[in-house]
Formats: sequence, C-alpha cells, structure tokens
Amino acid sequence: MAVIETFGLSRSFGNIVAVEDLTLEVEQGEVLGFLGPNGAGKTTTIRMLAGIIAPTSGYAVVAGFRTDHEVERLHEVIGLLTEAPGFYNRLSARRNLEFFAGFYPYVDTQTQVDKYLRLMGLWERRHDKVGTFSKGMKQRLALARALLHEPQVLFLDEPTAGLDPEASREVREFIKDLSRQGRTIFLSTHNLAEAEFLCHRVALFRRQMLAVDTPQNLRQRLFHRQVVVQMDSAEDSVVDAVRKLDFVQAVHREGSRLIVELADFERNRPNLVECIVTAGGRIQEVSETEYSLEDVYLTLVREETEGSNATKS
Amino acid sequence: MRRRYIINIIKKEWEDTLSNLNTLLLITLAPLLIIGQGLLVIYLVVRFAGEGVLMSPMFQTAMEKLEAILPSIAELPPIDKLQVLLFSQLHVYLLLIPVMIAITFATFSIIEEKQSRSLEPLLATPVRTDELFIGKALAGSIPALVMTWLCAGLSLIGIACLGTAHILGAVVTPSWFISVFLLVPAVTVLSFLLGAIISSRVNDPRNAQNISLLIILPVLALIAVQVIGVLLLTPLLFFIIAVIVGVVDLIVLRIGVRLFQRESIIIQWR
Ligand SMILES: Nc1ncnc2c1ncn2[C@@H]1O[C@H](COP(=O)(O)OP(=O)(O)OP(=O)(O)O)[C@@H](O)[C@H]1O
Ligand SMILES: [Mg+2]
Repeated sequence: MAVIETFGLSRSFGNIVAVEDLTLEVEQGEVLGFLGPNGAGKTTTIRMLAGIIAPTSGYAVVAGFRTDHEVERLHEVIGLLTEAPGFYNRLSARRNLEFFAGFYPYVDTQTQVDKYLRLMGLWERRHDKVGTFSKGMKQRLALARALLHEPQVLFLDEPTAGLDPEASREVREFIKDLSRQGRTIFLSTHNLAEAEFLCHRVALFRRQMLAVDTPQNLRQRLFHRQVVVQMDSAEDSVVDAVRKLDFVQAVHREGSRLIVELADFERNRPNLVECIVTAGGRIQEVSETEYSLEDVYLTLVREETEGSNATKS
Repeated sequence: MRRRYIINIIKKEWEDTLSNLNTLLLITLAPLLIIGQGLLVIYLVVRFAGEGVLMSPMFQTAMEKLEAILPSIAELPPIDKLQVLLFSQLHVYLLLIPVMIAITFATFSIIEEKQSRSLEPLLATPVRTDELFIGKALAGSIPALVMTWLCAGLSLIGIACLGTAHILGAVVTPSWFISVFLLVPAVTVLSFLLGAIISSRVNDPRNAQNISLLIILPVLALIAVQVIGVLLLTPLLFFIIAVIVGVVDLIVLRIGVRLFQRESIIIQWR
C-alpha cells in the first residue's frame, strides 16, 4: 500500500522552478532516499509533502490525507525533521519537547518526552538549556521531537548533515531502527553511502525525477556488467584471442588486467576464462567492476546537466 | 481555536521572554519608572515652580480649556488647579507603557523564532497559524495590560499622596476611564500587531522596535500635545480616538493574519 503518493507535484518560486512534475509512490514501511545536489528541490519537496507549503500544481497524498488541504489531520500522523534543528535556546531540552508535544491531541506528554530523552541519550542533560548543546545533541533532540507522537510516516531532511562521523553513525543506526519498526521514511541526503545503507530505494532528483530504483538496479541499468581478469601479465596474444570471441563486446587492457564486456554475462563468463587459459594467460583473479551509487549519481546528474544545456542551445 | 494549544503557546512565550533579563526589566521596571518619574516631575513643578507657572499665559489658556471640561474646579485655588491640570494628564502618559511592553513582546518573540528557525518544526505540528498568532498576541497583550493597569492604580495612589485633598475626584474623570479601559487596550493591540508585522520583515529586534515606535509615534505625539496643554481632550474626543484606534486594529489585524500563514512564514519571512 502506498503511504506517500504524488501526482505531477510541482512548485515554482517566481520564475524559478524548484520541483517539476514529480510523480512518486512510497510503500508502507519503505525507506526512500531522496538524493540530489544543492538546490535540487529536496527541501521544497519535503515541505510540500509535510503540508508546510502548497504545490503550484499537482498534489500529494500522505497517509491518506491531501497535503494541501487536510493539513491539521496530516500533521497528527507525520513527523518532520527539518533542515535546521530549530529550538528555543533559553529553554531546557525537556521543556522544548514538552512544548512541541503539547500540540498533539492524543499524546501523553510526560511519558513520550521521557521516553525519547532516554532513547536519544539526552536524559542526563534534560534540564540544560538547548543553547548549550552541541550540533549532534541538537540533532538527536530534533529527532526526538519528530517522534514524540509516534508518527508512522517520517520526513527527514538531511539527518546527518554537519555531524561528525561518530554522531552521523549514531543517527544512521537510529534511523535503521526506526525502519525496522516498520515506519515509512522519506529521507533526503547528499550522502550516498548513507542512502545505500539505509534506503530500500533511492530517487535521484534534480528539479525533476532522474531515476528511482533500488541502488542495485540503478547500477545495473546504467552500467554494463564487466568482467575484470587479473593476470600475471596481459600478453597481446591473449588480448587478440579474447577479441576474436563473438560474445565479447569490448576489451580494455589496464596493465596486467583485462576488462571485458560480455553479451549474456552469466553464461559466457566461463567461456571467457577458458579462452584466456587456452591462449596461455595465467589468471590470478576474476571479478566484476564495482560501481558505487556515487558513480550512478554523478553519471545521471551529469547527463541531466548536458541534456538541459543541449535543449537550451 | 483550541484553548489547550493557545495556553501552551502563552506559557512558552512567557518562560522564554522572561528568561531574558533585558526584556524582564523592560517589562517590570520600566513602567514603574515611567509612572514614578511622571509623578515626581509633576510634584516638583507644583512645589517649586508653581507661582511662576501660574502667571504664564500658557497656563491661563490651558486652565480655561480645563474649566470648560471640568466646571467643578473653577472654585479651587490656582495652585490646586495647576495640580489638577497636571495630574489629570498622567493617564495619557500611561499609554507609553502598553506601547513599550507589547512592542517588546512582539518583536522579541517573532525575531527569536526566526533566528532559532523554530517556526518550521512548529508549523509541522497540528497547531493552526491563527492559534499561534492569537497565543502570541495574548502572551504580549496580557502583561502589557496588567502592568498598565497596575501602574494606573499606583499613579492614583501617588496622586492621592502627593496632591491636595479631593484631587482624585478631579482626576478620575470619564476621560480617565475611557483612556485606561478603552484606549489602553486598543493601543496595546495596535502596538503588538505593528511589532509583529514589522518583525516578520526585519531581523534585528532593536530595528524592529525602532520602526514600530516610529509608526506609533502619532499616539506619542498626542501625549506630547496634551501634556504641554495645547490641546485638552474632552471625554467625547477620547472616545472617538479610542474607536478610531480600534478600527485601525481591525485593519492591521487582517494584514497580520494574512502574513501569518504557514506558506508566507516559510517563504517570505527572511
Ligand atoms: N523561499 C524561497 N524563495 C525563493 N526560492 C526558493 C525558496 N526556497 C527554495 N527556493 C529555490 O528552490 C530551489 C530548490 O531549493 P531547495 O531548498 O528545495 O533545495 P535543496 O535540494 O533542499 O538544496 P540543499 O541541498 O542545499 O538543501 C532553489 O533554486 C532555491 O533557490
Ligand atoms: Mg535542503
């Protein structure tokens, strides 16, 4: 069942188009990574989905509520982690949470505030003013705030931005736990390793949707699978023999390595190995080129940039 | 409007504002100083400059106007008339208090939210913007009214102590009631709204306070004119002014509510 659905969602600011014709579905319990460069429209999209700003055209339905005109009901069931933590610096951590919890109709404020202060490791510091907190602590407090009313749908806008590796990792682990509890999470990030670690699917986005799929599928869709054959040395005779095979589509030599693209990858890989051995090649290792999500991301973003330049000129 | 939410906002506003020493002093001590100073100046003028003032043509004309409004004072000795003239204007001076407190609350509360970027998470909760706005307005207006009325009471006690017998009767007139119970609330609301609207556009609280004061200056000018005795206001005139300020309140409220929409708070408030 789709918990987040958008239909041609678009938003402009004056003549800047921030989000254009976004159509997307996120399933119950899914973690969707929303990836894009600075200014791609990630925050704008999250704001529209969280019912904070209205789309200029199109619409979205989140947890069964239209985000443009069922805002109060929507806000009872979603949690939002905003780009900036946003607390009252002169009030204590606990008082801040109590204040925000006070706006949810069915929430037992004390129980929930205490629960999340403990879960986020802020219990000892609960009476301290938020102004004295480090960035990481504020971010954990902001996560606590987003969870006080136990929302089943969460929007997290760059949850680990600006945190040190240790703090990022804590936050990531925590999000992983939330996902295990079956919550639906829409997460924007520039951190590709994070997306790979946390998300079932990633959407590559830059004003428009460029691609959306599992990280694995995105890689396969974009790059042909290549066999990497590490040998003692790559002799010309071996390379020639490989070139003559009819299922070989391309061969590159890099020092003592051969990188080969094959038709019908699984079936022909053993044939390739056999051919090399017959030609006298001494094989040390056979592997496959690894493409990271970063390669996918950079390729897609570059293609999109070139595409839009081409249409402009 | 859900009362629970509005009270939640008021409580937070008070805690946050009062935990700042500057604002705390501005709200509690400054009004007392204003009223104390007013009483003291009048007392000193009557006590030490009385005779000289009585001779001046300015006093003569002001006195004629005052007697036209308050025929009962015609029989009093001139020095008592001077006291009545001065003390009866103290309540106009009181108007400074709600202006100051409401503007302080409005600018402080809104610019604080902007700077700490707490508005977006707040707008992501089920609270409605009108509840938020009303909560903030009440949080600023209640202390302004309470302090002003407290100071009004204190000023009467001061007048009773410093002035001659029966002077209270000449000071607590219909004008006094209209001013304290109609004009003061109307001016409080106006000050809050102006402070809030300007704060949505400006990022420095001092700046916002200065601009708000500049706009509300006509009210202060009224005080100045009244105090130097150029224009003495009849109860009717006071009433009309209160009604005009009330109407202006409604117009400015509409502007404020339009500005206080989720969308404009996020997109336009910079
Ligand atoms: N309030 C606004 N007024 C005008 N333009 C805006 C506003 N908010 C966003 N934009 C524009 O919309 C585009 C998308 O911005 P957005 O903040 O959604 O990007 P983002 O993907 O979140 O970027 P970042 O990674 O830097 O957070 C940008 O061109 C930005 O300038
Ligand atoms: Mg952003």
